Amino acid sequence: MSGLILLAILAPVVGAFILPPVGKLSRRLRDLLALALVLVAFICSASLLPSALAGEPAYLQVVLPLGMSFGFLADGLAIFMAMISSFIGGIIVLYSISYLDNSEHTHEYYLMVTLFLGAMMGLVYSTNILFIYIFWEISAISCWRLIGFYREPDNILRADKAFLTTVFGAFVMLIGFLLIYSQTGTFDLMEMQGVSISNATVLLILVGIFSKSATLPLHTWLPDAGVAPAPVTSLLHAAVLVKIGVYAYARLFLFGFAIPEVWSTVVPVIAAISALVAAGAAMRANDLKRIIAYSTVSQIGFIFLGLATGNPLSAAGGLLYILMHGLAKGGLFLCAGIVEHNAHTKDIRELGGLIKTMPITAVSFLVCGLSVMGLPPLGGFFSKFMVISGSVTAEHPWIAAVFIVGTLMTIIYLMRAFCAVFLGTPKLGIVVREGSKTMVASVLGLAALSLVAGLLIFYPSLFVQEIVAQIGWLGL
Amino acid sequence: MGILFLLVPLICLFILNLPRRGAAAKLAPWVLGVVAVLQMVFAATSHLACWEPFIGFFTLPVPVALVVDPITAVLLFTIALVVAVVTVVGIQGDARDKVITSSLVLTVMAGMNGVVMVRDLFTLYIFLEITALSCFVLIATRKELRSLSAAFRYFILSGLASLAMVLASALVFMQVGSLDFALVAAAINGQDPATMTGLILFVVAFCIKAGAVPFHGWLPEAYSSSSSAISVLLAGATTKVAGVYAIIRLSSEVFAGIPGPAQAFMALGALSIIVGAFAAMGQKEMKRMLAFSSISQLGYIVLAAGLAGAAADVTVSLGGLQTSIAMLAIIGAVVHFVNHALFKSLLFVNAAAVEEQCGTTQLDQLGGLTDRMPVTGWTSVIGFLSTAGLPPFSGFWSKLLIVIALVLANQWVYAVIAILMSLVTLGYFLILQRKVFFGELRKGFEELKEARGALVGTSLILAGLTTALGLLFPFVLLLLQGFGLV
Repeated sequence: MSGLILLAILAPVVGAFILPPVGKLSRRLRDLLALALVLVAFICSASLLPSALAGEPAYLQVVLPLGMSFGFLADGLAIFMAMISSFIGGIIVLYSISYLDNSEHTHEYYLMVTLFLGAMMGLVYSTNILFIYIFWEISAISCWRLIGFYREPDNILRADKAFLTTVFGAFVMLIGFLLIYSQTGTFDLMEMQGVSISNATVLLILVGIFSKSATLPLHTWLPDAGVAPAPVTSLLHAAVLVKIGVYAYARLFLFGFAIPEVWSTVVPVIAAISALVAAGAAMRANDLKRIIAYSTVSQIGFIFLGLATGNPLSAAGGLLYILMHGLAKGGLFLCAGIVEHNAHTKDIRELGGLIKTMPITAVSFLVCGLSVMGLPPLGGFFSKFMVISGSVTAEHPWIAAVFIVGTLMTIIYLMRAFCAVFLGTPKLGIVVREGSKTMVASVLGLAALSLVAGLLIFYPSLFVQEIVAQIGWLGL
Repeated sequence: MGILFLLVPLICLFILNLPRRGAAAKLAPWVLGVVAVLQMVFAATSHLACWEPFIGFFTLPVPVALVVDPITAVLLFTIALVVAVVTVVGIQGDARDKVITSSLVLTVMAGMNGVVMVRDLFTLYIFLEITALSCFVLIATRKELRSLSAAFRYFILSGLASLAMVLASALVFMQVGSLDFALVAAAINGQDPATMTGLILFVVAFCIKAGAVPFHGWLPEAYSSSSSAISVLLAGATTKVAGVYAIIRLSSEVFAGIPGPAQAFMALGALSIIVGAFAAMGQKEMKRMLAFSSISQLGYIVLAAGLAGAAADVTVSLGGLQTSIAMLAIIGAVVHFVNHALFKSLLFVNAAAVEEQCGTTQLDQLGGLTDRMPVTGWTSVIGFLSTAGLPPFSGFWSKLLIVIALVLANQWVYAVIAILMSLVTLGYFLILQRKVFFGELRKGFEELKEARGALVGTSLILAGLTTALGLLFPFVLLLLQGFGLV
């Protein structure tokens, strides 16, 4: 069984470097191989699921000196994250195939996307904070190349900004890890279950988490990163990258260390401020991708609220939110990508009436948008409901109220964007056509999944409740 | 067998100068290559028992102890590796230049080998002088005003360092009656004024030789004004061996436990890290930026060396095993030394490639070269990520070991400096990438070709080594554990 974990990590990590030479032979083969590598990660993760649910997660350990022993553990949380990331990653690779047909540097693109997903696999399965850090930085390196994909001076600057911000966060987090190390003499999480850590350590690690998850005040790199190709922004923003921080929060503070009580109030407050400020920014932005990016910053606040309040219901809601937001926000970004690709602009003031020429994209955008807004019966409703009702139960009614305001703002800015882009009269002189088949299929698939995940909410919610139940030492 | 590492370069130096100049010039790269490969083989096998029968045969009647311990062997290997890179990069010029430069490289090599093997202060001084004197000439061989002035500046400062070192040795000799490392270490305690003065002079001397801040004035010009091969030699090996290695050895063995020099090395190391990094950020020329980056990186080694002296007898319990902080710091310093030789040689080879293909290394006149020079561009990415200490490259591990040693010794201020300054390192290398490699191809470079095969091959090998060492570092840890070192 433990071989499957290695395969899930190594197939994309090692396979990524085979892609450029394969691409020299045939571009189509390279695209399919990239898709296959990501699917291997998905299938391996999925096949680890039964044993994890049975309470016997696959585990693999390598003993090293200096407390650096590392291992890979496929428990519920890890598999949950791995499956979401690799599944959405697969859809994004599929979408990229026709999106990037006429671009340069596509070898590098597929290498970096696959490497990124491989790093994500390594990160979620690692049980050693040092190796979490290593995979964290590898993902930052590939994002740097991906954001600068189009090579324009402005793109490179923003890529550098994203790189420096996330690496700064990671370095600060590393200092936090070293504080833990000086206390325990090990980097292995398995030996540190329930170890109490100080406020300073929590703060240092949170800087890393917030920088990666683009939470206030370290969020500014994310809207700027919208200069990347659309599949990358959706990969970065929606599906995977920003969820790394969220995952690290869950792994370290829910499943790992015992942190002081005060953080169950402080983190929701930061999350609330982040959610409101970003929602406000989204209401004022005119760039379609920026609106969605600010929306991501805002929604990440909800996830942190769910995970941080220390209540089983909201924790389950927070995890469910990762899934629902990944699907819906991935879909939104990919829709925005189709619009940008075919209309050659992403300024919502210049767009309008696109529903007539691109109906499928418009409907997919609407469905995904409704899920992000949290309207029933879409998946987003259930996760949002669980998070907010959980935080009320945890006696944070005021914070819950702030988040309800945030939800209203979400509805306003997403409807504003939808109306401006798809309704009204066409303002562009050109007829904007529907995207290619694979692109439309990708967005339609994500929209359909957002709907299905809501209709069949029983199964994912069972899964996340099982995961939350594994947090034994919290006494839940 | 230590004497072999002196004899082989010197004999080859002799052979190289036997034939006529034209033939010698053709022979030179082969001689250098053979010496480098031989030294790598000797160094790699030096711990094996197969050399024992020959030890008596190799011992010459010279009252100098030449010791090849594991650290020395690693350094000898690194020196040979850098010389191999120098050989492949190629020494430019006419036949006379080639022979002279190759001879000097062999002399420098013998000098450096001596420095890492000796175990007394006076012989150390002699070998340092051999190395330094050859270096002045090597820098000046380019025969440009800039190189001459750089060589002259190095000459003056190095002269000061020599003076300080001789004085210091004399003062220590007065107190101890010997200059042998072990005897000096046993006798001095840093209490009386004469020894104190001697110690201060030693610190100054080695910091000048290493180019640590604030004694770094000679280094950027020397690196950036010499020819490509020579800057690889200087940056990758020579100044590190002459200054930094001596600091590692003295701080951890001779001055161990005496607070003064240890604190001074740590402070100057940290200062070098900071000043070097920020100065690099302001550079407009690639080789100068790399030179300041060297200052910053050697700061890490000096910091670790200082820590090895400061925490000489401190052990901590890690996972039930007693770990010596000093040993951890020395390992970190030596591994960073090796890594620096790898990634800085790599970056200087990249700079050489850019200089040859574009005719300039001014950042403002370049742009988007990765499109036309993919190998140079991508290997430079690996080189800079390793320098900035980002995983999974080897630079990450050495910095991590140094930082762990600092943390275990409760030196949090230095640990935080060491970590956060890596961000500045990343910052200036991102500027370099943005202006030179990553971005839109600058107009006028449409016809640009990848550099010649030797440079491409070298950079691929060095990048491969940096990556492989980074990926396989867990095995290195297991190996070190096998030796009982960690």
